Amino acid sequence: MFGLDYSWLADPAYQSWLVTGVINTLELAALSSSVAILIGMLGALGLSLRVFWLDALIELFVEVFRNTPPLLQMLFAYFTLSTLGLETTDPVTGLKMPLLSAFACACISLSLFGGALAIEAFRSGLETMPKAITEAGRSLGYSRWARFWRIEVPIASRVCLPSLTNILTNLFKTTSQASVITVPELMYYAGQIYNDTFRTLEVMILILIIYVVLVSILSYGMSRLEAYLTLPGYGKEQ
Amino acid sequence: MTFELSYDSKKRLVIGGVLVAVAGWIMVDAMAGGAEHWGRVLVRLPLLLTGQGDGWPITGGFALNILLSIASMAMATVLGTLLGISTLAQSPYLRLPAFFIMNFLRNSPWLVLLFAMLFILPFQVEIFGLRIPFPPFVKAVIGLALPTAANLSEVVRGAVQSIHSGQWEAARALGYTTPQIYRHVILPQALRRMIPGWMNLYALLTIATALATVTGIQDVLTILNTSLAMESERVLVYFYLTTLFLFFAYCYPIAIFARRLERAVKGDNI
Repeated sequence: MFGLDYSWLADPAYQSWLVTGVINTLELAALSSSVAILIGMLGALGLSLRVFWLDALIELFVEVFRNTPPLLQMLFAYFTLSTLGLETTDPVTGLKMPLLSAFACACISLSLFGGALAIEAFRSGLETMPKAITEAGRSLGYSRWARFWRIEVPIASRVCLPSLTNILTNLFKTTSQASVITVPELMYYAGQIYNDTFRTLEVMILILIIYVVLVSILSYGMSRLEAYLTLPGYGKEQ
Repeated sequence: MTFELSYDSKKRLVIGGVLVAVAGWIMVDAMAGGAEHWGRVLVRLPLLLTGQGDGWPITGGFALNILLSIASMAMATVLGTLLGISTLAQSPYLRLPAFFIMNFLRNSPWLVLLFAMLFILPFQVEIFGLRIPFPPFVKAVIGLALPTAANLSEVVRGAVQSIHSGQWEAARALGYTTPQIYRHVILPQALRRMIPGWMNLYALLTIATALATVTGIQDVLTILNTSLAMESERVLVYFYLTTLFLFFAYCYPIAIFARRLERAVKGDNI
């Protein structure tokens, strides 16, 4: 079809590369998304405390990570964390090894990047909280933490689900950039396969389709979750 | 004598304090031998900025990233507006393909799309005997413009839908055709609401131009890598910090301005 040659797909070696790539991509995305959501929640909680120095530090963190390329952040993490002294000695060979693998560096930098975006999303979710609700919680004797965890998070997380969906899909797409620091995820194996077969066009089209399908599943799942979690009176009318 | 500082000014003081602390740390580091490394960065700075050791003529570097972002944004603005209006079309033959294209482009990673464009687009196309070459720069522009256009179409869609339906009815009652309504009634009003989203997207695009290094153009990351190959390993951190700062210094003011506009636009009802 269209003069494209997909005969290389029959090779079990390439098939296993693709499967490993997808699994590693999913792993990287799942790990960094969960940490990013955690950072987002903690950051938004920190902002809601209205402590000026905490507020300032969180704002600095968000702005730095939002306004620099994630690719550069990842390269920075990968190349500099080892030169800054984070090294261990391999017990078997006695050679100096960086303490953090490429996967760990990608995970850390993606989590921080996603976390910076998530803080912004959760903050706007908390800001739309009607004052009456938190006041009601206060009059019922909820502590600050209980109010945050039992009242504000359940409501705010529903309000900011659409923007969270955007962030998670964005983060998932950004995992492809981890291939630059040799994390063996889907995009990395794509390079391996076309270096082997020289079928660059065919490989890239297939990889593009795999990514689009995976991201579509993610955003479809998130929209189902959104529909499932809707509270009457919040968000779109069904 | 007591005076109270407001919350915001206290916050600004802390941010200033952190910046001073960072500057101080850089100074201390410079005393401890970092000055030599910063010297190396300074020597290479014209190269990082313009792609030439003397700083002129501009052949690459961060200037190329900015050029790339402007060219891509121009292309994405045209494509995104057309795509956004198409998703609002009455006819399903226009609406559904537009929806499909928008979702496909929005769900594909920028890096993968850029790579795909690199291989899908030919080296040159021949139209009526006229040869149009596709150098890597043009491919990078197209590769970055496509996902931006898809995101922009969403902004356009939202802005057009936010215009009161009475505007449509009034224009129709006056006998305007649909293209005329868009051109003379809807888009001029929607434009104002699109600007913050457009600017946010521009900042995002500028950040994404770092990916263009995969097409092999002499952008700031390519030059960073080639200059690092010539330098000792100890200066790595300094070069990376400088490059990160370049992006931050360009994108942060745009983001701030966009947010301010967003707040200004939020209040007005047309």
